[in-house]
Amino acid sequence: MKYDVCIIGSGAGASGVAYTLALAGKKVIMLERGGFYKEKDFSKDEVAYTKRDIITPNLKESYHTIEDLEDRKWVKTPTYVNESTFFNGNIVGGSSNFMSGYFHRLKPVDFKLKSTYGDIKGANVVDWVIDYHELEPYYEKVERLVGVSGEVTPYKYHEPRSTKDFPYPPLEEHPISRRIDKSCKTLGCVPYKTPRAILSQAKEERNTCYYSNYCGSYGCSSGAKGSARAALLQPALKTGNLTIITYTFVKKLLEKNSKVTEAIYVNTQTKEEHSIKAKLFVVAGQAVESSRLLLNSKSKNFPNGLANNSGQVGKNLLFSAGGVGSGQFDASSMPLKELMVEGLFVNRSLCDWYEIKGMKGGIVDFLFEHANPISKASKQRKENGKLLWGAALQEKIFKKLTATKQLNFEVFNDWLPTDNCFVSVDEKYKDIYGVPVANIRIGAHPHDLKVGRLLAEKAEAVLKNMGAKEINSSISSSPPPNLQAGGCRFGDDPKTSVLNKYCQAHEVENLFVSDGSFMPTGGSVTYTWTIYANSFRVGEYILKQLS
Amino acid sequence: MKKTITRRVFIASTIVAGTALMLLPQGAKTTINIEPFKVIEAVQEVLFPKGLQAPAASEFGATNYLLTVSTHSSFWADDLTFLHYGATLLMKAEPNFFTLNPKDKNDVLKNFVNSNKKAENWVSLILYYTIEALLSDPMYGGNKSELGWKWLKHDTGQPRPKTKFVGTTPLCLSDAQ
Repeated sequence: MKYDVCIIGSGAGASGVAYTLALAGKKVIMLERGGFYKEKDFSKDEVAYTKRDIITPNLKESYHTIEDLEDRKWVKTPTYVNESTFFNGNIVGGSSNFMSGYFHRLKPVDFKLKSTYGDIKGANVVDWVIDYHELEPYYEKVERLVGVSGEVTPYKYHEPRSTKDFPYPPLEEHPISRRIDKSCKTLGCVPYKTPRAILSQAKEERNTCYYSNYCGSYGCSSGAKGSARAALLQPALKTGNLTIITYTFVKKLLEKNSKVTEAIYVNTQTKEEHSIKAKLFVVAGQAVESSRLLLNSKSKNFPNGLANNSGQVGKNLLFSAGGVGSGQFDASSMPLKELMVEGLFVNRSLCDWYEIKGMKGGIVDFLFEHANPISKASKQRKENGKLLWGAALQEKIFKKLTATKQLNFEVFNDWLPTDNCFVSVDEKYKDIYGVPVANIRIGAHPHDLKVGRLLAEKAEAVLKNMGAKEINSSISSSPPPNLQAGGCRFGDDPKTSVLNKYCQAHEVENLFVSDGSFMPTGGSVTYTWTIYANSFRVGEYILKQLS
Repeated sequence: MKKTITRRVFIASTIVAGTALMLLPQGAKTTINIEPFKVIEAVQEVLFPKGLQAPAASEFGATNYLLTVSTHSSFWADDLTFLHYGATLLMKAEPNFFTLNPKDKNDVLKNFVNSNKKAENWVSLILYYTIEALLSDPMYGGNKSELGWKWLKHDTGQPRPKTKFVGTTPLCLSDAQ
């Protein structure tokens, strides 16, 4: 059977396209590397979900090489060497199943970073080819369809909205949120109420949040979390127009006369090779893997990889710059009975410094350290650099888990695009299917650290004013593997961009890339809401093309 | 959530402690070298003894948990290699470790940890897996009778797992001896 559209990947960037097309009656086939887990399949198994590879490929099967600067030389290290992974949830719905759902829209300034702040030496900053107003209707669509809860907090840099409020009221909050509010007001900043892609009320077949206390890193058992699977793919499947094939790894896209003709994939369970034909192909395997697929899809017309005669595929890869910080709270800060309440959300951010000292700034999200007891207890193994055991360790673990809470903050600012952050492939490193793995050079611009530190100071001041102890922060140029974008930036010029404004390849008219790869700059918030919104936008354009 | 690389595992050479291979009962298909686990069991008794309120490693099934999960395909092979390797190192440093009294075992471990970085990393790794045993779901063989959760007054997340992802066949060191 020849499908209308073949979508590779099933996460946020894939699901908006699939939903739009399937509901409009188009026949869509979706190829997902992992399995199909539904609400009933998820549990709060800390070991399985946070300490082993059950939802990502085994690193002996597939991996990446990470290219880091050591003694002024770029050195490649396969990820299996240090047991790290840049895969983020290879099941239907992708990593959106495991997100915490802190949802922020980009601000209008994020679409015109270059024209607002000018060039930064060593960074490849450009304006987007669309502006905020073109994406706004789709942000609103995400609020309704994926489900965003919250309460609009006015502040200086707030983006324009076409609706007054969020469609779902705020989730229940932990008592510490009021203390953050008080601290912010004392310091003269706005305690921004963080919108969440988590339902506070039931929606169709999805139940409301049940405050399990095990949210980020875990699949949601009620369907409240706005994963691509729960929110969009399950309804799209009901139309009968969407087919999802699981356990498929797409090795290559074949091209003829500058059109993609078929996708060659291997069933990761049987190891058998198959192919799918379609009129149009959409790649959405998360930024790193999407670039990898195009780079590995070489042909006579495209000797450097599909849609890559410009040499731009894989370039200007983005992560999220910033870092983390924390402060400790105990009975001396607030009554233990209030402090130790579990499951409720903090839902506060600092957004007053989206511009800081004449530079583009960013935001800070506050959140409690995740519930994970193994993770919390195992961090107590050392004190002053020395291993602890016996009664001393037991006492420390007991105090940590029963009488203290750690309030964390996460800083998000722009990861500037540079020539030293990109995806490439190298014939020397192949996965078990014989396909070159993605090499990720992870160079960061020093400007990112400067902005991150300024933001961390603001967050530390809020914690200090609340009476937190042991306040610290770490702003780092290490990339968070789950926050990927760029690599196939969109633009008007085929020489400097891979995709046009509708995320259609300049050189291959029936090829689209609909995950975060299109972003030429990333903004200073997590990407998921923007990726969902753009996926709906691309889906509508494809529908017009097919019609 | 930002994900950071939090647990870097030390890669050791492939020296395996002991030579005694034996077939485990309960239908296990592969032979497992249990000698390193006997050493690890003795070390875990020192690292996590019975406290005023805290359960002892032997009470919550620390070694059996490690035996179960470390022989599962999801376990990091380099960790297993290093667990074996460290057991060899300790036996070389103190061949009579098993016969020492608890205080002397503690002193030997302190000296062992201070002797070199590999020794320290090995003890740290055993501590990590002891804590994993203490607070993981009891279906994997550790956290027996939920002793870990009860001690720390931890309400675990719901729903609890039904599918065993990280250790399917419960193994018991005493059954193999």
